[in-house]
Amino acid sequence: MRHQRRSKWRLMERKVQGQREPASADLNVLLLAVGRARDRAAFATLFEYFAPRLKSYLMRLGAGSGVAEDLAQEAMLTVWRKADQFDPGKAAATTWTFTIARNLRIDALRREKRPEIDTDDPALVPDDAPQADDKMARAQEDARLREALTSLPREQVEVVEMSFFADKPHSAIAAELGLPLGTVKSRLRLAMARLRTALGETP
Amino acid sequence: MSAVHRVTHHPDEELLLSYASGAADEGFALVVATHLAFCPECRRAVSAFERTGGAMIASLTPATLRDGALERTLARLDEPAKSVMRQPTMSDARLPEPLRSYVGNLDRSWLPLGPGVAHRLLLKRGKTSVRLIRAMPGASVPVHSHEGRELTLVLTGGFHDETGRFGPGDLESATQETHHKPIADLGEVCTNLALTDAPLRFFSTLPRLVGKVFGI
Repeated sequence: MRHQRRSKWRLMERKVQGQREPASADLNVLLLAVGRARDRAAFATLFEYFAPRLKSYLMRLGAGSGVAEDLAQEAMLTVWRKADQFDPGKAAATTWTFTIARNLRIDALRREKRPEIDTDDPALVPDDAPQADDKMARAQEDARLREALTSLPREQVEVVEMSFFADKPHSAIAAELGLPLGTVKSRLRLAMARLRTALGETP
Repeated sequence: MSAVHRVTHHPDEELLLSYASGAADEGFALVVATHLAFCPECRRAVSAFERTGGAMIASLTPATLRDGALERTLARLDEPAKSVMRQPTMSDARLPEPLRSYVGNLDRSWLPLGPGVAHRLLLKRGKTSVRLIRAMPGASVPVHSHEGRELTLVLTGGFHDETGRFGPGDLESATQETHHKPIADLGEVCTNLALTDAPLRFFSTLPRLVGKVFGI
């Protein structure tokens, strides 16, 4: 059993390396294995996939190579510790890992708290709309989103990217691009509407 | 369950996106997150933006790690996690999280800001201040304008001004061009969460003095 599990992860590892964009369903399965069985081999495969990308993300946001790598490592340790809270019905592994790295950076580099809602809070106004809790649909979201991102006009992708990777208010982004703030905002609105449509939502 | 006020005034897309991406500073993030507690619609928007963040991470060119990065991380898997102790606070069930933890006891520490109006500073980071503003029924916040932005999120009761009517969960976003005089609805105390990123300018003497004293 143990042997079978190992070879299964090796197969995925090859897939991850051979095919630059693994199905996010595979990442979800690996993360579930970490959460449920503290599976170190599955964690190692996730590390190989996420740690270099998280380092890249943190460097894009201005961290030096050393700091970015240390933080990426901390983020992966947080992934290990919190994996039992991962719910693929709520978010894909990529989204979940992104939020961990984002919050860790706010805490470690900006020394600020990250205010977030408490989903168990009785004071939270409940969502009466039908919930899409389709794990397969969630797992395919990344692919759909990436497809939608590549189909966006370059000028829209640029402002979306800067929103995630520049850590600046949109007024500063507008100044950097030499554009009126209204133009940046309308590009963002258009891009986000397209992305939400790709997710099957009506914004 | 009693009818919940339907939120009609939302943060703009840019503000929701800066919350989802992590670019928003703590003050803006606190206002957005508190709005989210009232507004399932904006929660869905933020969730879509976070999923976009996940897809963006996945599409990045991987950076090279130092030799032995994986081994060093694996060696640390059994380290005990730094325990984060949440201090139990006197918290108030009238407010949702994350605001509740910032406020503690809602009945304490109010300072006067004019007839029937009081405020309490919650957070100050650089130029951004976030405070609670409480207005007795029918009371008005003195006419003011802003050099920067002012976000006002209704927590209890409601108010109206030149731009419309605002109830629990509604967010008013005012800019330099806005000169407004919000008036609290009759019948209920109006409590707001207000963010400013530059000093307010009042157009009458008393609040101007009060503003100076309290650094508003």
